[in-house]
Amino acid sequence: MSDVMVRSKTIELRILRYRPASDAEPVFATYQVPYSDDMSVLQALQSIKDTQDGSLSFRWSCRMAVCGSCGMMINGDPKLACNTFLRDLAPKAVTIEPLQNFPIERDLVVTVGDFVKKIESIYPYIVPKVAKSIEDGAYLQTPGQMAAYESFADCINCMLCYAACPQFGANPDFIGPGAMALLQRYNGDSRDGGQQRRLDSISDEDGVWSCTAVGICSEVCPKQVDPANAVNQNKTKSAFDFFLRFLRPKAAQ
Amino acid sequence: MSERRPFHRKQPRTWWAQSPYVAYTVRELSGVAVALYGAILLAGLVCLARGPDAFARYRQIVASEASLLIHLLLFVAVVWHVVTWFQTMPKTIPKLILHGRPVPQARLTAASLVFAAVCSVALLAVVVVVGACS
Repeated sequence: MSDVMVRSKTIELRILRYRPASDAEPVFATYQVPYSDDMSVLQALQSIKDTQDGSLSFRWSCRMAVCGSCGMMINGDPKLACNTFLRDLAPKAVTIEPLQNFPIERDLVVTVGDFVKKIESIYPYIVPKVAKSIEDGAYLQTPGQMAAYESFADCINCMLCYAACPQFGANPDFIGPGAMALLQRYNGDSRDGGQQRRLDSISDEDGVWSCTAVGICSEVCPKQVDPANAVNQNKTKSAFDFFLRFLRPKAAQ
Repeated sequence: MSERRPFHRKQPRTWWAQSPYVAYTVRELSGVAVALYGAILLAGLVCLARGPDAFARYRQIVASEASLLIHLLLFVAVVWHVVTWFQTMPKTIPKLILHGRPVPQARLTAASLVFAAVCSVALLAVVVVVGACS
């Protein structure tokens, strides 16, 4: 079943290109791409790379909205290129840019180093509440306890939420929605006892308090993680922690 | 061969006036309407403390056509603020788990709005009854 057979229509793609060795700043380039109704934006980019311009750079891997590699601005909205379909965008020309709010490395590839550092900074692992040996058996959890953090465990680190966040745009040091979703995945886990150290790491200006509850991060999330909920419920916790810190026993501080 | 020269694109300064952020901007500005209405009520209290003449003048100003128009606009803005406030509220609390499942945020918003409406109507009823009795 060759889908080349049914690529009878053509769509125009305007792609923001940036080649650091030759371009002073990013410039748009236009490509005409033959397409079929089952083609995603990612497939259009692959088609350009294969047949028109081999130098076009973009990240991708799984092609099915699991790996989180192919996030980019499509007609101004942060989206995964693999689950955005040309049939929904045609017949108008499609504008494709690298993710907003991130430094552009080359063409549609952005710098992710700061994001990875943020993820590492929030203790992204279970800190056992009660230490157990293997002989003691597994840490058990009810479906209800799992439901408390399950959506946050669905994050694929695609960074669309960061591209949608104007506060991250204004302050690149803001911990941001994605890392906070991961933080809440562990903080909300009934087996975890690391809440206080994570709270201490996000209670300042660059932590949760840069957020003004714009909420678009949750709307653009392709996995319904609801990072806005992760950030804002930790604002409440951070505020309680600030005002009730004198009541805490010394050992827990 | 591979020259690294990351390019930083600036966020547009007018992001708050652009889609999809306009709804957020309107929500935040409706908070100003709440403050303005609070200031009008506070002015009434100050006039009441100053004596009957001051309060009579305050009532006269509040009953003017311009004031009624302002109140109508403020009312719309405050209602919008209430609706959007309760839409944001579920984001600020941990997930509510009932019978092993998270309660949908839209249901929390709806329940809160109904509660706020009932409280408002009850308060209005108390004001009307007390007003009629005095």
